[in-house]
Amino acid sequence: MTGRKIGVYVCQCGGNIGDYVDVDKVVEDIKGDDDVIVARSAMFTCSDATQQEIVQDAQEQGLDALVVASCSPKLHTMTFRDVAKRAGMNPFQYTQVNVREQCSWTHTDDKTGATEKATRLVRAGINRTRLTEPLEPIVVETTPKSLVVGGGIAGLRAALGLAELGLTVFLVEKDAKLGGRVAGYGAMFPNDRKGSDLVATLEEKVRANPAITVFTNAELMAKGGSFGNNQVTIAIHGDQLETIQLDVGSIVVATGFDDYEPAAGEFGYGLDGVVTLPEFKKMVDEAPGLLQYQGRPVKTVAYIYCVGSRQDESLEGAHTYCSRYCCTSAVHTAIEAQKLAGDIRQYHLYRDMRTYGKYELLWNASREKGSLYLRVPDDEPPAVEKLSSGGLKVTTKDLLTGGEEIAIPADLVVLVTGMVPRENADLVSVLKLPVGIDGFYNEIHPKLRPVETIVDGVLICGACQAPKTSSEAVASGLAATTQSGAMLKRGFAELDPMVAIVDNDACTWCGKCLEACPYDALEQVEVDGKQVAQVIRTACKGCGGCVPVCPTDAIDLQGYTDAQIRAMIDGLMEVSCS
Amino acid sequence: MNSGAMERSAEGAPLKYDALVVGSGIGGMESALKLGDMGYKVLVIEKDASVGGKMILLSKVFPTLDCASCISTPKMAATIHHPNIDVLTYAQVDGIRDNGDGTYHAKVTQKPKFIDEAACTGCRQCEMACNVAVPDEFNADMVSRRAAYIAFPQAVPKKAVIDRAGISPCTYECPAGIKAHGYVARVRSGEYEEAFGLVLETTPLVGSLGRACYAPCEEQCTRGELEGPLPIRRLKRFIADTHYGRDGLTPLEKPEQNGKKVAVVGSGPAGLTAAWQLARQGYGVKIFESAPQAGGMLRLGIPAYRLPNDVIDDDIGNVTAIGVEIETGKRVDDIPALKDAGFDAVLVATGTHKAVQLRVPGEELGGIQSALTFLADVKLGNPVDVEGKKVLVVGGGNVAIDAARSARRLGAASVDQVSLECCEEMPAHDFEVDEARAEGITLHDGWGIDHFEGDSAVQHAEIKVCTCVFGDDGRFAPEYDETMRDTIDCDVVIVAAGMLADTEAFGLETNPNRTLIADDETLQTAVPHVFAAGDVVTGPTMINSAVGHGRRAAFMIDKYLQGQELDASLFDEALGVVDKNDVLRRQDVYDRREPLESSAIMSASPTDFAETEGPMTEDEAFLGAARCLDCGVCSECHACVDVCPADCIDFSMQEKVIEAEVGSVVLATGFSLFPADAKPQYGFGRYKNVITGMQMDRLLAPTRPYNAVIRPSDGKVPDNIAYIMCTGSRDDTVDNPLCSKICCMYSVKQNQLIMGALPLADVTVYYIDVRSVGKGYDEFYQQARDMGANFVKGRVSGITETDEGNLVLRYEDIENGSALVESEHDMVVLAVGVQPSRGVAELFGDGDGALALDDYYYVGEVDEDLDPGRTNLPGVFVAGAAAGAKDIPDSILHAGAAVAQAAAHLERAKVADEAKAKVTS
Repeated sequence: MTGRKIGVYVCQCGGNIGDYVDVDKVVEDIKGDDDVIVARSAMFTCSDATQQEIVQDAQEQGLDALVVASCSPKLHTMTFRDVAKRAGMNPFQYTQVNVREQCSWTHTDDKTGATEKATRLVRAGINRTRLTEPLEPIVVETTPKSLVVGGGIAGLRAALGLAELGLTVFLVEKDAKLGGRVAGYGAMFPNDRKGSDLVATLEEKVRANPAITVFTNAELMAKGGSFGNNQVTIAIHGDQLETIQLDVGSIVVATGFDDYEPAAGEFGYGLDGVVTLPEFKKMVDEAPGLLQYQGRPVKTVAYIYCVGSRQDESLEGAHTYCSRYCCTSAVHTAIEAQKLAGDIRQYHLYRDMRTYGKYELLWNASREKGSLYLRVPDDEPPAVEKLSSGGLKVTTKDLLTGGEEIAIPADLVVLVTGMVPRENADLVSVLKLPVGIDGFYNEIHPKLRPVETIVDGVLICGACQAPKTSSEAVASGLAATTQSGAMLKRGFAELDPMVAIVDNDACTWCGKCLEACPYDALEQVEVDGKQVAQVIRTACKGCGGCVPVCPTDAIDLQGYTDAQIRAMIDGLMEVSCS
Repeated sequence: MNSGAMERSAEGAPLKYDALVVGSGIGGMESALKLGDMGYKVLVIEKDASVGGKMILLSKVFPTLDCASCISTPKMAATIHHPNIDVLTYAQVDGIRDNGDGTYHAKVTQKPKFIDEAACTGCRQCEMACNVAVPDEFNADMVSRRAAYIAFPQAVPKKAVIDRAGISPCTYECPAGIKAHGYVARVRSGEYEEAFGLVLETTPLVGSLGRACYAPCEEQCTRGELEGPLPIRRLKRFIADTHYGRDGLTPLEKPEQNGKKVAVVGSGPAGLTAAWQLARQGYGVKIFESAPQAGGMLRLGIPAYRLPNDVIDDDIGNVTAIGVEIETGKRVDDIPALKDAGFDAVLVATGTHKAVQLRVPGEELGGIQSALTFLADVKLGNPVDVEGKKVLVVGGGNVAIDAARSARRLGAASVDQVSLECCEEMPAHDFEVDEARAEGITLHDGWGIDHFEGDSAVQHAEIKVCTCVFGDDGRFAPEYDETMRDTIDCDVVIVAAGMLADTEAFGLETNPNRTLIADDETLQTAVPHVFAAGDVVTGPTMINSAVGHGRRAAFMIDKYLQGQELDASLFDEALGVVDKNDVLRRQDVYDRREPLESSAIMSASPTDFAETEGPMTEDEAFLGAARCLDCGVCSECHACVDVCPADCIDFSMQEKVIEAEVGSVVLATGFSLFPADAKPQYGFGRYKNVITGMQMDRLLAPTRPYNAVIRPSDGKVPDNIAYIMCTGSRDDTVDNPLCSKICCMYSVKQNQLIMGALPLADVTVYYIDVRSVGKGYDEFYQQARDMGANFVKGRVSGITETDEGNLVLRYEDIENGSALVESEHDMVVLAVGVQPSRGVAELFGDGDGALALDDYYYVGEVDEDLDPGRTNLPGVFVAGAAAGAKDIPDSILHAGAAVAQAAAHLERAKVADEAKAKVTS
């Protein structure tokens, strides 16, 4: 007994937990545990009503620590810390016990077992909570400056947006020119505005904005510091390499995508007259009036969709994802081609036509203008061959006409290639960017937090996160702007105080902790004439990597001390489930 | 308002915010939270009772299969608790006006929740006590919810709301002000005592009105538009019979006296009701009645076969039980002088007991008398002897009918009735005329009396054809065809030619027709402490009107004696009547429920004064009450008030208008779902087992209504479910060529959840293209295929229903030679698409400040390539699906874009303001 007054709430989560764990029994089991003053079950602990109930219990019963057994701490730690705070408790004397992902969902076939496990997990949580001490968040002033990496359309718009929020912006572009891929495009869907014009508009504003400094031929080389205060090193390649140091509060990564490069022979790639969509689009954009290929007029075009996208997962390095933009881009390019002088016949060999939302109108328009669409089976891709006459022939089955085998002679075959993640190992390593299974950078949560990464202050936007259209990339660039603003506009941030702490008496400075730390959050200092380790609290992430390597047990983790871990283990082992 | 983000402003001055966010779905919440995090003060307006929009209603979300509740509730709670955000739920923006300087003025109306939000604990006692059931929009109308309700279990704020669409037509129509819908609802619950108590709130005359009221409520009953109205009056008789018939009644409590005294002159419905209301408020009330028994017209005018004396006694017993003194046989002439007798106020409610004369020759002959005298004598036990005599009744109103039927019961050899009006125009109610005829009364309609003849006693009447009763000005001015005459033999003539007030002696101002002059609204006479109510003011009316007048008089006398202003607007609430068409539209179909047959037992030659109408059985009462359509939604039965432990229900709550000055506007009004019945060939609304995607999401949600996926017709667990994609999307026949973007993915998600919940079920998806575009989406689609979902490329042309409730789909099997194929499924899910939310443009009005929409009525974006979310109006931005179909991540990103620009707009304004301030200083 520590005299703590603990409130314990076990959640049914609708049926998510309650269907597989006898929640009332769990409550019954732990009700009599030392220091447990209130123990209840709730249908949705996260609901406003239960939150109010917790606040009320805390005030009436004088609770000073809280345990909620519900879902993953990733979901609701912040929710209940906030409740604890509103209830007058120290938010860091709260423990979230996961009885959903780690219990009910994994033991759907064994209610008795799941219930017993839940009791043990809750008891471990109570034991940890009993040994908590009140902690205060680490308050850091933040730097009202942002670094944008990548000067494509998303990066440009983000830079402008950040400056308009009153932040100082540094824009780093690897290339000599700003504008990225969109700068090379002519008319784009759906508004027929030229990519080059869009980029020029943005670049003009960016250049004119005194709050934005642009570095071209530049790269991000290093990043240090901690939340809201990062020191970054930029290398500028010119006649001679120049490096500069900058202080920034957030980093917006907008490094874009690469076009899929078909392998030689893939759908005839490499044959004369077989081109990728970007190549074809350039031909259309730059056509002198008549669509020509190597001096010959192009009368017939065959498009093969999903090249480099939606690939069979059994292929090595397959791009199984859909690239989102290519259907609409091909349809739009076909409409543009039709506008050019001369008769042109266009055949589209597609799998699913994904002109989503209002882009459907473009598809309708292209059919009205004469494009013919053939649906190819997912498992029988079309074949492209060179005819002795010099032309190309595409053979395919068309599901729309009952799987009839059709041969299309074509002057040009357009491979509708998708987007692939850009190779950028250096940046990934500098920023510790999380890379997803598809090779694009990963957000914290694809639904609700699409521009944040697990690395504090590092945001992602545009096509480096996933394939996007130009305007979607712009929207995500602005969303990253907003997220930066939400972090930096207040001027300070509160960091989690669950960080490592050194016992100077016990520490003998052997340096082992520094070796173990992935965040460079430890340094050697002299205290009272003695060399000891010191935690840089704003850099420490509380991972605990340093704790077990210390030969003298001089380092501990606030919130998860050795004593707490031992108590939790005891709780897990205790067999007093009635 | 909960968090105090608003800036302090002077009393009555508009509130000031940096941003107004309209809508609190995922786009609105994201916008508000991010603006709040940046330090801006935000006002969020939500039309529903909870924040959360559509996302909180979903089961899980694609492609992560996160539980929608689990990831929405933190956002909802964060929104409502954010120190920089104020949220108004159950509120609507009426208009947003451009101030001309990039800021806006918003007018917001918060609908009354009829709940004191600060006091409500969300305990749901009111919801459990409420017995009204209306379709639950938060469960896609699959089940019902109560009128007092909390939107859904995870609602934020978790506070109850009482849904009052308006006053129900029956209640609204009642001149007495009785909560007709309320007591019907109480009967439905078997709460007869509570039902009785609810009527007592208005009047003590529960039994009398349950019998003798003409029930205008029933004429207004919306069920009358279907099979026939509810027996509302007879239900009241049922609750009165049940109450008075109960053994060991708990006596009514006598209220504490307030020391003031009121005299009521007249003990009819107006006087009794006023006395009752005043006594309940602690006034010492004394009624003076000139007749030997109390009750006024109830006692003297209405025959016992319609209203037995013991019922009147029971009703009057309520009044005397709480201390009202009644002195009968006491006629008061000098009204103002009652003040000297110690009464602080006086109510005159003496009715109209003076008979109008016919003014025809021979009227003075013996055997001719007024119907009022005749009926009163019968009721008081000394009837005129008419046995074996030929009786002629003159008049076409209720009183004439009552007299004729009474004469029949007293043994008259024959009863003839002469009425100036033709049958259809007679003032008597049709059913009364029918009943009179059934009892053997000979009606001569369209005839008038020319004169009576006889020696000393009347022997016959000469009658003539009446060609017109009323003049062009609507006044009584009969015209006759003097050539068309006839004669009726008679020994007794009973004249019912109208009634007058007898007010000459009162010393009060009167109208030419002798009614008293009193203010229409306050019922106060020229003598301040004297009020007048009922027929003595209005001339002859119905009982219920007199009751209503009596209640109004009591209200005004109370105000007068408390020294308060007589404000008529405070009497009864001002909620309007609900539109019957809205009621009928609320549900696609209503089950047919046969109306209750009349229980009147008619005899061709009645011989006694026994009641003609029989009592209702409990079963009849329940079935009768259960037919109620709950027009106003809340029935005003006050069951919630009885159970609320926090005492936080307030029916007098009014809507609140809030004005706010805002620096920018974010429109996050979302989308609406395509109404599936607009594709009639799919049978939604007709075939029970055809449901929408949203309904399936509810069936799969953690707060699912049946805790299982079952088909609606018979509760069977479906084992062969079909999905029809693109319902209402990519479809020119419904004027929507657009793709709705979300339906493919939510269907694929549901496929996986169904295969998890019902491992044996087959799922077939009829699609055109599967549009799984987005991070991880195509992989998610492949996963559904791998789990066994069957995807068939083909558009479904129509559905028919089998006898078992299965559904036969006809479709073109595109991948197999486009053959027309039929397939049978036991449940069909229509993957309905999205439509724009209407009404957004209307917020801004027309003209220069109008908000531009796109070709498909979504909020227009003027530069979606570079400034997604920016509208044509400076400082006004659109976030999420209000600008076009979007899934959740796209809505979040779009909201981020709108917020970045709204913040930039605010920063520019700040810089401009600072510059201006510098110049001035």
